[in-house]
Amino acid sequence: MSADSTAIRVRDVSHQFGEPGDAQFVQALQNTSLDIVRGELMCLIGPSGCGKSTLLNMIGGLLTPTTGAVAVHDKPVRGPLPHDIAFVFQENALFPWCTIIENIKLGMVFQGVPKSEQEPRARKALEAVGLKGFMSHYPAQLSGGMRQRAALARALSLETGTLLMDEPFGALDEQTRMVLGEDLSVLLSRTEKTIVFVTHSLGEAVFLADRVAVFSARPGRIKEIIAIDEPHPRKPAFVTTEKFAKLRNSLYELLHEEIRKTVDQSAAMGAAP
Amino acid sequence: MSGAALKRTLLRHPGLARPAVVAGMFLAWEIAARWWIDPAFLSPPSKVVASLGELFATKGVPAALRITLWELGVAFAISVVIGLVVGLSVGLSRFANRTGMPIILLLYGIPQITILPLFILYFGIGPPSKIAFGVTHGMFPIIVTIVAGVQNIKPILMTAAHSMGASRWQIFRWVIFPHMIPSFFAGMRLGMTGVLLGVLLAELYVSTAGIGYYTQLFTQSFNPTMLLALVSVLAGMAIVLNEIVRRAEIHFGRWRS
Ligand SMILES: Nc1ncnc2c1ncn2[C@@H]1O[C@H](COP(=O)(O)OP(=O)(O)OP(=O)(O)O)[C@@H](O)[C@H]1O
Ligand SMILES: [Mg+2]
Repeated sequence: MSADSTAIRVRDVSHQFGEPGDAQFVQALQNTSLDIVRGELMCLIGPSGCGKSTLLNMIGGLLTPTTGAVAVHDKPVRGPLPHDIAFVFQENALFPWCTIIENIKLGMVFQGVPKSEQEPRARKALEAVGLKGFMSHYPAQLSGGMRQRAALARALSLETGTLLMDEPFGALDEQTRMVLGEDLSVLLSRTEKTIVFVTHSLGEAVFLADRVAVFSARPGRIKEIIAIDEPHPRKPAFVTTEKFAKLRNSLYELLHEEIRKTVDQSAAMGAAP
Repeated sequence: MSGAALKRTLLRHPGLARPAVVAGMFLAWEIAARWWIDPAFLSPPSKVVASLGELFATKGVPAALRITLWELGVAFAISVVIGLVVGLSVGLSRFANRTGMPIILLLYGIPQITILPLFILYFGIGPPSKIAFGVTHGMFPIIVTIVAGVQNIKPILMTAAHSMGASRWQIFRWVIFPHMIPSFFAGMRLGMTGVLLGVLLAELYVSTAGIGYYTQLFTQSFNPTMLLALVSVLAGMAIVLNEIVRRAEIHFGRWRS
């Protein structure tokens, strides 16, 4: 892989919360390296608390690594890069006092998009996620799934090369997230975006990703990277193929062991005086 | 209409019952004042209303009322400015919060009526003492509500704004400020109640000038009609001012529903 096809370069990154010796000290991530190719969708999957969100936030410049370095398009990341990176969070991050279209425009105001471009770009993004009819609604008037689509529209309207999604459908029911996953695959196959996508769902990872990075238990490292060799956009029928089942099973085997470790770890911590 | 049907209609429309209750109270007052209670102590509402003209024709009363209204306005404006500045600084800075908040809550808890004489001593019997007393009553509820309003903002909203490149000023203008608007108006409503209490207490306490002089005069000359007329005008003023702020609060808090 040539150097210039790498969009995101994570080198030997560690992150600690608190100081060693503190009661709250956590080594969230240890000596992790990862290269993400331009235009690919990389899924991060791993036990709860292993540091996936931490890594994503470091890539996006919301957290500074304790050691190591992150670069996006060869630029070292030292803070948010609103022109290169957009986020979709698990939690509802829409501003409740703004209507959906105002939310999208406000993102562009923050990013510095000229006023005349805001309206057409917002409409285009809303159309892409199928929420055009709801642009004058307030977030509280939408369902959870629609809110996440609106958050996705806000991120798309920023027209960044990279999209970081932290369990964007995590709070939704299984059926809704399947449908949103299908839509997302279609939507993203039309763009050239580099995407890092955190999920807990094996099926979602296999269905969406070009590659899946499996994390070990805390302190998290990348245990293995699995390639999902299947063209985009993925058809709903992909889910029922034997290939899908095989990939899903191999992911499950990799993960199962780590999740067992995590559970034993926290049980041991709970038992300690 | 049968009794049960009437009850059902009223239950479904509390708005209909309200004026009925008010009218009933006035009626009871009218009856009590006309036939039972010594006219040296209570006048019927019909007489009170009829004497409003005489009240406003009494030399000095319109001026005293105007001054009171002006004091209320000035005290309220000062309370809002102090409340906003102190509330935001204490609410947005962890350090200021830890240091200042316990002191603010302590001061807020003091029944200020005990120190009213000091206000008169320091600020005289004119408007400054009344404004000052109104401000010390009005600013604390505004500070406390704004601090609470600023603090319960969802961290993810700040993170999201930050990730999209918002500057500190933009975060204030587009995230903190709109988030705090409902609590700001709730604070203003409580502040208005406080200002009314403080200014009117000080006005009534000083009996040698202003409203206090006239209440004293009407009381000592056993003229309950004029006394009640004056009190009604003050009450009307308070109701109107409260209502203005309450309407504003509803208007700016619409997205919450
Ligand atoms: N602000 C913080 N202060 C202290 N510790 C934190 C903080 N944020 C995260 N941690 C700790 O760091 C570890 C990694 O957190 P992180 O949120 O990255 O996990 P995750 O892999 O995203 O988990 P999940 O799948 O549950 O979202 C966790 O053990 C967590 O307790
Ligand atoms: Mg997470």
